[in-house]
Amino acid sequence: MIELFDVTKRFGDETAVDAISLRVERGELCALVGTSGCGKSTTLRMINRLIEHDGGEIHLDGQPVRAFDEVVLRRRIGYVIQSTGLFPHWTVARNIGLVPRLLKWPKSKVRDRVEELMQLLGLPVAEFADKYPRQLSGGQAQRVGVARALAADPDILLMDEPFGALDPITRATLQGEMRELQARLHKTVVFVTHDMDEALALADRLVVMHQGRIVQQGSPVDLLREPANPFVESLLGGMDRGLKEAALIQVSEHMLPLGPRLLASERIPYGASLSQALSVMLWHRVDRLTVVDEEDIPIGELSLRRLLGAKVP
Amino acid sequence: MRSATSMATQVPALQRWLSPIVWLTVLLVLTLGMGQLEWLFRLIEPDLRQVIYRRADFLTLLGQHVLVVGIASLLAVIVGVAAAVAVTREFGRDFLPLVSQLASIGQTFPPVAVLALAVPALGFGTLPIIVALLLYGLLPIVRNTLAGIDSVDPQVHEAARAMGMTPWQVLRQVELPLAAPFILAGIRTSVTINIATAALGTTVGASNLGDPIISGIVNGNTAYIVQGAVLIGLLALAVDSLFERLQRRA
Repeated sequence: MIELFDVTKRFGDETAVDAISLRVERGELCALVGTSGCGKSTTLRMINRLIEHDGGEIHLDGQPVRAFDEVVLRRRIGYVIQSTGLFPHWTVARNIGLVPRLLKWPKSKVRDRVEELMQLLGLPVAEFADKYPRQLSGGQAQRVGVARALAADPDILLMDEPFGALDPITRATLQGEMRELQARLHKTVVFVTHDMDEALALADRLVVMHQGRIVQQGSPVDLLREPANPFVESLLGGMDRGLKEAALIQVSEHMLPLGPRLLASERIPYGASLSQALSVMLWHRVDRLTVVDEEDIPIGELSLRRLLGAKVP
Repeated sequence: MRSATSMATQVPALQRWLSPIVWLTVLLVLTLGMGQLEWLFRLIEPDLRQVIYRRADFLTLLGQHVLVVGIASLLAVIVGVAAAVAVTREFGRDFLPLVSQLASIGQTFPPVAVLALAVPALGFGTLPIIVALLLYGLLPIVRNTLAGIDSVDPQVHEAARAMGMTPWQVLRQVELPLAAPFILAGIRTSVTINIATAALGTTVGASNLGDPIISGIVNGNTAYIVQGAVLIGLLALAVDSLFERLQRRA
């Protein structure tokens, strides 16, 4: 659990972070969103004391971060940045094994852990262990970055625009993997991004920052439904909000059992989002879709009329 | 099977070290066998009685030359790298502009002038030449170490801190290895210049391969000058090719 109480940071005359209070529960993925210069990265870096806060207190599991030796503190916190920050003179395996080695794990345990993580992140050991960072694609390098952050199994993970430098397809893939990883590992994650779609897709809780202050926080759906002010509303996509919300809902949540009627001609996988289903309906000009499972076997249907009906309170 | 693979790795290794080995061999053969070339030097100075420098043997002179340059360079590396590291730490940041300026300006200072200043302070002998070489050799090392540390990607540096490396670990495991090619290039420049400059030691009473040159100038014996100059040149080439080899590995 991470708690911030009235945390302030000034750089000269400029107040980068202005008395913000925040609580990230254990196992929660909290996204800090906002335009550049809103103080989100500064907030993140105060948690592992890369930047020292000037006022207020930051607690990890009830203990102030200042009570820890900063080196000990950082070894307990995973850290992922946009540029990966991988050491160019070390192999992938050595990069990943960094923190366990700093913690003086026995050699065999480090090796086992590195291989375990490489498998978890979809990096075949035989192919990648001895490669150098410059030999990796952007997506592969960022996977190594995430593996390195997870190496010593920290409870807390800090991620600063981790997928910001990737092409849209790789980014979407890694976001999907990140969601699966988080579902499995339940880390306490603070995730900084300026990409609202990314934040909506990954976050349990969204914290919108503006000019060093928290403007609004809540679940993605809460924010979409009730943005606190026009700034949050525009950040959330204005008129696109309906589709953004639909993107968060799975088809399976609104699926109806198969009726006596004929199967609709167009199909949609049950794991797809509602916004994708709407797109398919628009494209084919139909108001019914057959929902199928992984093996393309019909398991239900989706009806536009029922969908609209279901939305009315 | 095993012998076949070890053979395969040995041959390229030999090839890679070929150029330093060749220069070193030529240097040693010429140092030991200069006397055999009397006929050649007779062609240069047909009228003189003695055409081979014999006041000391060339091996001793070479040894003294290497020793002086070696000691001065070793000290220069230790002091230079330490200084550059110190001014790039938090506590020494204030001195960074001063030191980096000194390092660039110092390069334009002629070594003879350093020597001229060192003698009144330290007297004649080996000490002033070591001090002069140390001071002169410091500058490329300091400058290159600064450039090397500066070349480390700030994001990599931040990641190293964020992973929980101590400042010492960041320096040893990240900054110095990444700066190594720069530092090595600085040492190479420093040592090569110093091999040539060390010959000036003769003028302040430190005996080395500069002796035949100075003696040749004083006595009007071109053969002596050639003997000293060729050996110094070969030593510089041998050491330089050795560094080139090391740089390619780094």
